[in-house]
Amino acid sequence: MCLPAVGSIATVALFPLLWAGWESLHVHDLRMPWLGRPFVGLANYAEAIGDARFRAALAHTAAFAAVSVTLELVLGTLLAVALDGARRGVARTAALLPWAIPTVVAALVWRFLFDGPASAANEVARLLGLSDAPIVWLAEPWLAWVPIVVADVWKTTPFVALLLLAALQNVPAELVEAARSDGAGAWQRFWHVSFPTLRPALLVALLFRALDAFRIFDLVFVLTAGGPGTATEPVALYTFQVLLRDLRFGYGSALSMTIFLATFALAWLYVRLAGSELLERER
Amino acid sequence: MSRSRLALPLVAALACTPASDSVVAVTFPASAVGSEAELLEAQLDRFTSQHPGVRVVRQRTPDAADQRRQLYVQWLNAGAADPDVLQLDVVWTAEFAAAGWILPLEGLAPDVADFLPETLRANRWRGVLHALPWFVDVGMLFWRTDLVGAAPRSFEALSHEAARAVDDGLVPFGMVWQGARYEGLVTVFLEHLTAFGGAILDERGAVVVDGPPAVRALEAMRAGLDAGAVPRETLSWHEEEVRFAFQNGRAVFMRNWPYAIPLLQDADRSRVAGRFGVAAFPAAGGGRPAAALGGAQLAINARCDQPEAAWRLIEFLTQPEQMAERARVAGQLPARRSLYQGDLLQDALGISGEQLREVIEGAVARPVTPVYTELSERLQVWLHRALSGQAEPAAALASAAQEMRALLERARLAPDGAGDRAGGAS
Repeated sequence: MCLPAVGSIATVALFPLLWAGWESLHVHDLRMPWLGRPFVGLANYAEAIGDARFRAALAHTAAFAAVSVTLELVLGTLLAVALDGARRGVARTAALLPWAIPTVVAALVWRFLFDGPASAANEVARLLGLSDAPIVWLAEPWLAWVPIVVADVWKTTPFVALLLLAALQNVPAELVEAARSDGAGAWQRFWHVSFPTLRPALLVALLFRALDAFRIFDLVFVLTAGGPGTATEPVALYTFQVLLRDLRFGYGSALSMTIFLATFALAWLYVRLAGSELLERER
Repeated sequence: MSRSRLALPLVAALACTPASDSVVAVTFPASAVGSEAELLEAQLDRFTSQHPGVRVVRQRTPDAADQRRQLYVQWLNAGAADPDVLQLDVVWTAEFAAAGWILPLEGLAPDVADFLPETLRANRWRGVLHALPWFVDVGMLFWRTDLVGAAPRSFEALSHEAARAVDDGLVPFGMVWQGARYEGLVTVFLEHLTAFGGAILDERGAVVVDGPPAVRALEAMRAGLDAGAVPRETLSWHEEEVRFAFQNGRAVFMRNWPYAIPLLQDADRSRVAGRFGVAAFPAAGGGRPAAALGGAQLAINARCDQPEAAWRLIEFLTQPEQMAERARVAGQLPARRSLYQGDLLQDALGISGEQLREVIEGAVARPVTPVYTELSERLQVWLHRALSGQAEPAAALASAAQEMRALLERARLAPDGAGDRAGGAS
């Protein structure tokens, strides 16, 4: 009876996965047909582990995910609390706009805001007293991350806020009233009354955003193309490079499988640790 | 892909006359936009009227070179018989020839005496010509005639002038070139490298990009950035951003491609119309003036069904009349030496023939090897790391050379002990 559902999952998710796994065990270079397509076992994986650029890309992606997801959750919570109390409709629509803009367009806009000696970002830096000389953001290995993180946080905070706002609606109003009449301050009301209801939604948002942040591609592609050098290159961009520019299907498949196994392990671990809370039924 | 397969028997059936050759359809996926597209249509119409037995079927392909290459590689890897004629970037010929995907042209006895020697060298794999040059692109040094007396004759003079202009406050940027981490950076580096007498691969195909001339060239590029004569913004610039900087009068020197010439001469948009000239990138001690070679070539699919007809199309498109027309209408430089004499290009582009000849003589091709794309990618990463200060030039080039040698080993293209390597057409 579940055959159609299982069948479609198998076709759409399982089959490509197994095919990529099979590819990753071969050398398959489209531009070098004289090498053939020999079976090489785990040689591609050994190459991936030894590939300094891949390891650096993994580190970049993990660090980026940690920083941006933390910022998004914190800002998203603040935004959700603000929207909860605000007038409906207009405020929510306005808050959702960044999420609605296509990522590539948003990335281009942020690039213009950071590019050039007279850019908006340099004005802000000057006003804040951070630097007198104009900063070339995109040419510095560490500073190039700033526009990427800022653009990502700007774009996805509304998504987190909306998720959390839905949860906030479920906070019983009587409890909040009771807390206020008992003399609890705003922070205490939030922490002791709203937050427990918010926790499952926060965990869901965390899972979603972490997996999304791990797959970041279009923002980096438009903003820095992985530069300077490879200082801002995430795993998705490197895998794209190997698969579709170098046309190394075997090695690229090994990289993809490695990313898949890493995210699968993370997600599995996450559900194990937080699962009971995620699946807790509403009373 | 199946269109021409249907067209052939269909047209043959409709052409009831017992002609000596029934109409064959040649598939040609040229990429062209704007005036270039109209020009191509006109030339193809002229071809079909001169060759009634041949019909040309245009196939739409992406205009971006990268995407076109991906498409070609996928089709040819799958053994497709269409397209018949391929438009190749200058760095793809060796790759396609080594894979056995394009026909060697020696058997068709092409007349190559008039073509620019460097373009022929770029189209030869293992000494056999595999494609004919269609039009060329060369890197040029653009200089402001109102700020500098004459085109700099040496690299030292160029750096000196650029630094002086910035120090005197005449312009914010001394010299601008494409410094983003992409293929353009390798062409810029190639020009500096040739100016210092170095090379990326030597004649045997061994990696020599870690040699002393290369280190000097990269150090010179980095010195320009550190001194402020070349702005750090160039590290994220492609052709267009560089052109804007020069076009708005903010730079004394620019290194760019000929496409910029008509745009810079447009007085409505450009602030430097009539106030710039072009020259070859000047030599430093031990080198020669250099202009990185680009452009398109035409080749025949090794599995195509009608090589004769495809050859006739290629021969037609590379005739002097067609090339001259392309220069006049689309502003693209011809690949024939004879067309650089006389006033043709001066009238077409508004640049003195003298200057253009000087640039063309310095043409230098990028390494002719089947794994050029991946080789270049390795080099780009290390060049960009050195220029952005994440690595020192000597160490960066040493690492790049090491990775490039490993790549050649893996592809079994290393010059010593080659063993089972790619041959010609399979």
